[in-house]
Amino acid sequence: MLKRIICSLFVLSFATGSGIAGAASDSARPDWSGVWAMIGGTIFDRDTQTGQGGSTTPGVREHPPYNAQYEALYQSNLALRDQGALPDPNSLCGIPTGFPRIFNLPDVYEFAVTDDQVWVISENGPNILRIYTDGRAHPAPEDRWPTHTGDSIGHWEGDTLVFDTLSLHSSENGRTMLDRTGLMLSDAAHIVTRMHIDSEGQMEVQMTIEDAKALTAPWVVTKRFRKLEAGTRVYDYACNENNRNPIDPETGWTYTTDTEGNIIDLNPGQ
Amino acid sequence: MKKTILLCLGLLLVGQPAFSHHSNAMFDQDTVVELSGTVKEFQFTNPHSWVQVDVVGEDGKAVEWSLEWGSPNNLGRQGVRPSTFPAGAKVMFRTYPMKDGSPGGLFIGARFDDGKVVGRWEQ
Repeated sequence: MLKRIICSLFVLSFATGSGIAGAASDSARPDWSGVWAMIGGTIFDRDTQTGQGGSTTPGVREHPPYNAQYEALYQSNLALRDQGALPDPNSLCGIPTGFPRIFNLPDVYEFAVTDDQVWVISENGPNILRIYTDGRAHPAPEDRWPTHTGDSIGHWEGDTLVFDTLSLHSSENGRTMLDRTGLMLSDAAHIVTRMHIDSEGQMEVQMTIEDAKALTAPWVVTKRFRKLEAGTRVYDYACNENNRNPIDPETGWTYTTDTEGNIIDLNPGQ
Repeated sequence: MKKTILLCLGLLLVGQPAFSHHSNAMFDQDTVVELSGTVKEFQFTNPHSWVQVDVVGEDGKAVEWSLEWGSPNNLGRQGVRPSTFPAGAKVMFRTYPMKDGSPGGLFIGARFDDGKVVGRWEQ
């Protein structure tokens, strides 16, 4: 066990320090080394975005097939977004964005392949998605509970990683949100993800999202990532280091402070 | 030292920073304000960098502006450094201002006296 931990730490250190992440000892595994950046904006559903974007933008899909209840909740979130008052937990600093939003972030990524796990490491965080590929099953229902990244188990189909994710937090409890338009899923979400490097050298991540409480049909979302030039460095993302944008707990408004921490702007909701 | 409000014209077409940390609802991205001022401090910090600029108004009083920019991680990969805006430098800035008129905005670009440009400065 100790040997396994040491080995894993070594691989992680190698991955994050050298920029050649993912060089697994098993030569049959694909080479996912390097530093990657998401292509496109951080909005899953471009139809809802004001300004640039659109549903035909590569890598994004159209409106999620919500049922009436979740469509109403989503429209409510969109209205809050328009008022600058969407209570996005990502703005609180320190709370993981979780899965699937981990594939919907600015800054950069590493995809570390080991013999028995794959780690998706986003610089913008704190976020690490662990995918177990050692053949284990999901824990029994009574032995698992909702978390930000859920429980992911996967296997390799050639150079494609296929993984299955359960036990995600519900957006209704306010702990998670898929993007800043207020996209939501319930704790019944079940996501099957396929990851591979396509013929153009881009990492393609296709998520098929089923959610019996929120969706009337599977929602398929594809995000793509491009590899950055060799030697690109990854840095700390310390969201509370100098966060000058506190959130009003009553209205959700994002304030701005001066260098002394004094709020300088007015809250239009008050 | 001066503050000039520009109509947005082509500047609207150049996009906006990819912030994920918070909403940009506080910024008026239909308007560009041009500021001529003196750098007081450059905070090259997470989750966002800030340029503090002293701007002297028509009444002769200096007002400190807070210009919000990207994370040092992404800016660093684009060549920005903690030394990019030294204190005391005389710089022209363009920013999307706060909607409520408070002295702050979203950083667009900067031009030093010697013509050096940081960020976006389309004419």
